[in-house]
Amino acid sequence: MATRIFGAIDVGSYELNLSIYEFDQDSMKVIDSIKYRLDLGTDSYSKGRLPADKIEELCRILREFNRIMKGYHVSDYRAYGTSAIRETRNTRILLDQIEQRTGIHVDVLSNAEQRFMDYKSVASKGNDFIRTIDNPTAIVDIGGGSIQMSLFDKDKLVVTQNMKLGVLRLQERLNELDATPAKYDDLLEEIIEAQIGVFKKLYLEDRRIENLIIVDDYVSPITWARTKDSKNPGMVSAERFMAFFDRIREMNPVEFCRRYSVAMENLQLVYIAAKLINSTLKMMGTENIWAPGVSLNDGIAYEYGERKKLIVIDHDFEEDIIACARNISRRYMGDDKRGKTLEKICLTIFDSMKKITGLSKRDRLLLRMAAILHDCGKYISLYNLAQSSYDIVKATEIIGLSDSEREIVAGVVKYNHTYLDYDIDSVNSEHEDDDIYMRIAKLSAILRIANGLDKSQKQKFNDIKASLKDDVLTITVRTNKDITLEKGMFLRRADFFQEIFCVKPVIKQISKV
Amino acid sequence: MDRDTLYDPEYYRNRELSWIEFDRRVLGEAQDATIPLLERIKFLAISASNLDEFFMIRVASLKDMENAGYKKPDIAGMTPRAQLKALAGATHELVNEQYDIYHELSDELKKNGIDIMTDLSVLSKKQCDFIDRFYSDYVYPVLTPMAVDSSRPFPLIRNKSLNIGALVRGKEDDEKETEFVTVQVPSVLPRLVEIPSEKDKCSLVFLEDIIARNMGSLFLNYDILSTCYFRIMRNADLDIDEEESADLLKEIEKQIKRRQWGEAIRLEVTEGTDERLLERLKSELMIKKDEIYVIDGPLDLTFLMKLYDIADYDHLRAAGYTPKIVPEIPEGENIFEAIRDGDILMHHPYQSFEPVVRFVSQASHDPQVLAIKQTLYRVSGNSPIIAALAEAAENGKQVTVLVELKARFDEENNIVWAKKLEQAGCHVLYGLVGLKTHSKITLVVRREEDGIRRYVHLGTGNYNDSTAKRYTDIGLFTCKDTYGEDATALFNMLSGYSEPASWNRLSVAPLWLKDRFLYLIGRETEYAASGRPAHIIAKMNSLCDPDIIASLYEASIAGVKIELIVRGICCLKVGIPGISDNITVRSIVGDFLEHSRIFYFENNKKPEFYCGSADWMPRNLERRVEILFPVEEENLREKLMHILKTELDDTAKAHILQPDGTYRKARRTKKSINSQIIFCKEAAAQAEQLGIDRAKNDVYVTRRFIPEEPV
Repeated sequence: MATRIFGAIDVGSYELNLSIYEFDQDSMKVIDSIKYRLDLGTDSYSKGRLPADKIEELCRILREFNRIMKGYHVSDYRAYGTSAIRETRNTRILLDQIEQRTGIHVDVLSNAEQRFMDYKSVASKGNDFIRTIDNPTAIVDIGGGSIQMSLFDKDKLVVTQNMKLGVLRLQERLNELDATPAKYDDLLEEIIEAQIGVFKKLYLEDRRIENLIIVDDYVSPITWARTKDSKNPGMVSAERFMAFFDRIREMNPVEFCRRYSVAMENLQLVYIAAKLINSTLKMMGTENIWAPGVSLNDGIAYEYGERKKLIVIDHDFEEDIIACARNISRRYMGDDKRGKTLEKICLTIFDSMKKITGLSKRDRLLLRMAAILHDCGKYISLYNLAQSSYDIVKATEIIGLSDSEREIVAGVVKYNHTYLDYDIDSVNSEHEDDDIYMRIAKLSAILRIANGLDKSQKQKFNDIKASLKDDVLTITVRTNKDITLEKGMFLRRADFFQEIFCVKPVIKQISKV
Repeated sequence: MDRDTLYDPEYYRNRELSWIEFDRRVLGEAQDATIPLLERIKFLAISASNLDEFFMIRVASLKDMENAGYKKPDIAGMTPRAQLKALAGATHELVNEQYDIYHELSDELKKNGIDIMTDLSVLSKKQCDFIDRFYSDYVYPVLTPMAVDSSRPFPLIRNKSLNIGALVRGKEDDEKETEFVTVQVPSVLPRLVEIPSEKDKCSLVFLEDIIARNMGSLFLNYDILSTCYFRIMRNADLDIDEEESADLLKEIEKQIKRRQWGEAIRLEVTEGTDERLLERLKSELMIKKDEIYVIDGPLDLTFLMKLYDIADYDHLRAAGYTPKIVPEIPEGENIFEAIRDGDILMHHPYQSFEPVVRFVSQASHDPQVLAIKQTLYRVSGNSPIIAALAEAAENGKQVTVLVELKARFDEENNIVWAKKLEQAGCHVLYGLVGLKTHSKITLVVRREEDGIRRYVHLGTGNYNDSTAKRYTDIGLFTCKDTYGEDATALFNMLSGYSEPASWNRLSVAPLWLKDRFLYLIGRETEYAASGRPAHIIAKMNSLCDPDIIASLYEASIAGVKIELIVRGICCLKVGIPGISDNITVRSIVGDFLEHSRIFYFENNKKPEFYCGSADWMPRNLERRVEILFPVEEENLREKLMHILKTELDDTAKAHILQPDGTYRKARRTKKSINSQIIFCKEAAAQAEQLGIDRAKNDVYVTRRFIPEEPV
């Protein structure tokens, strides 16, 4: 058969979601979408584990999902758990139970990965997406616990921040405050504007954001349902949205729910989500809203299609991750030019060593990240550079990276400045995966010699080539400048490189004519 | 005009009284001398069985309300008590009419050689011997006589059963008080027994008369002082509290057994019954005076349904009609290919229901089919659809079947099928708590070269191949993606998953359908108000939703032309000056039961056509899962328009609603137009044309030279 059927499962905090996709000639189409409401979040967040009856129900539905997927003869599937699963303390045990009892293997997404998938789900809308981000655009991805606010610069994602303004969290806050509904509006405004205000001050200053892309479960379906037959499905003007927001506040709730097909129990969440959007609109001076009506599953399928080359992707997502890293570096007074030189040297070496390192394309990306962020710690302390850099990377969410990938980047940055510890546990304390240790070792070995080659920070090594022959890596540099300092630094670091790869790196200078 | 004033009870007719009018129209067919005699007999039987059902459900539920002290008036402003009072008069009148007609028809039958004998004293010796022999051989063994005295309580009289009651006195002691005894006329034996008669004649006697004649043999030590026949009707409306029942299936099984124990709400006795006997029955059954029906003739006229099938009297019956093949999908052709060529609209029973059965059975062994999903409401015994679904599951397809257990009177049947399907490996759903699934939809998911394709059948009638021969219904086959997506979402919803955020083509009750109708009617109102053409034609079984009726009034006031074809209950009143001047209502009662629901909205010269499973009744729009689907292809819309137009032109079987709530037969113009007969002829002509076309093609086929295969 020419087409390929794929299943995506989202084990969300308040809903289980199965979507069946069909990949056909570069396009991706949903053919079935099944939702089941199941509140896993409340127990997971408060107690750190799921009670037996919830696990039972979860497994029952996942078995059912498995049956449905078999019915469609899916050739592959991906199942991801988000914050509710992430925040259980016995995650590994839970996931094993699920796999044994349902046959479905569930992976856990970090917040950064999850948001990146959401972002990809928006990108899966193709031309609408490309056209929208041509102008200054922000994405607000509203979840239950937090929201993710991301900004585009030209067509690249440059900033992304997580804020604890999720709709369920806000709802709980309102309940705790024991305020009358009449005061909700002012209270929410205060809470929301305090945080978004900081975000604005940090990243926006006086820039205006023309388009706001919304990813959420409450306002998007309404917007989508009311615009799906129009020329630009999901798009509404800020003005029209404000009018809609007024209607939520003013209309009789029963009437409102009927008119917009909203379940009564969701009304407050719709209101909170609309309030979040409303505040964002006002603070950013946004003109248009686009609610593409996408789900995490769309992102999962899109990523799958991207990896398996089933669809044509017009947007380079790695560049988004890189752009974010550069932005972080800039925030810590990193030197853009230096970073780029270092990146180039690193990649030249990485590529020449490809055959013997066992490293993947993804590791190449991580190396680039490390090169960009290699000395961000100097913002805090020049003396304690290694640890400070490590701490910054660890504490900064980088969209698109999983927790363990961020651990690698942090480790590589750290061991760029200090010797690698042979005690695996001290390097890799949080992740049981010893693969991480070796990846840190290999990538830091590369970064270290690259860093040595640019010790003077004068970008003398802009024009280099590297070639591997037997067990010698020859790095050829075309420059007329004196490279005595670099040669010296290089020699000191070459030992470590040789220890890791069993390859001796040598420098060869060719004078420019 | 303020919309609220349109809800004035003055503007509405009580639905029960309107129903009585409907049954009277059915009875009217029995009076029509232009119809063959046995057909008239059948209509009389139908009107009788309709009335039985009406008592068990509607009257019973009004009694429940009255007992519960519920005083809220209906849309016509009548409290349950007022309705019961009005009904008592109307039903007595209707029953009297039924028996007048019965006597007239039985005289006619006699003239035609079918003699239903009620006076056994005129029988010949030979005939009497036959009866007594029949009694001792077949009847006596299955009788259970029961006496009532201080040690034996009044026995349970089964719902709808025919019984013989008698007052007896012990032979030994003249002083002893009279006793009441009763025996049920066994329902396992035929009600009418044919006895020897002259050649070419058919003499029939009633089973109860045979038993009564031999009552002495049942109560040997007693003298029979007087006998009577009686029949009771009990409350049968099932009100299952679904919130509480953990297992719906079990609960319904329990309810079926309990049903026979309901309160008695109607007692029929033969005329001339002994006062003491009647008093006894009255007090034991706790029945009120106006609930007693004294019958001049045999009780329970539903036996006439069996009489209709009497052998050798074909000349007294209408020539039967065999549904014709659907030209787009002739037998033996691949149904999926045919659907890919374009949407197909079928009009049953003029056209055969066979393609629907074939749709499922072909899917069951098609290797490309992944899944079959279907809703089953009322299935026929030995349903080929059930067999095909079971086979599909055995062939490894994903088969999901929603079996609606709450289908009235059919629960027992449905439970059997549900279990059978489960055993075959089907995924059986039992509907949603609190909502009856009334929609008729089948989805076949097929994996084809260019991807997944979904085939959908949507209908206005049940997936029941036997009623499909008697009910007029519309069916649509399509493989448009928009319909397929909606069908998929609907089955997910019925499986207990969340409903989709929006629908492409289908409107689904109880959540979206009513609003949709109100919107469509409102849109015509707006067009009319702005001076543009506005026209609604709607065909359905019943119309009693107050919001819809108020909207129709509003539309009429604005100048929308509204033509309604409502077979049964209609709570809307025509001819209210300034309110409903632009509305006409007609009801077609013919050989086939009008069952399709078709809706036409002019929409400012961009007409929209819809079909569906729902009537404009609150129960359809608010308490059931129903589907309304648009018909989009131009040629199919023409077909629908033709159906509506022909029915609006009908003069033979149409009855026109009058401002006083009665119905009058349509005035005949030059020639009588019978829409059902026209549809029959058209379907036959189409099928014949196909036959000619095929025959032409066959010539080609036979002329082809076939090369020899190498050995």
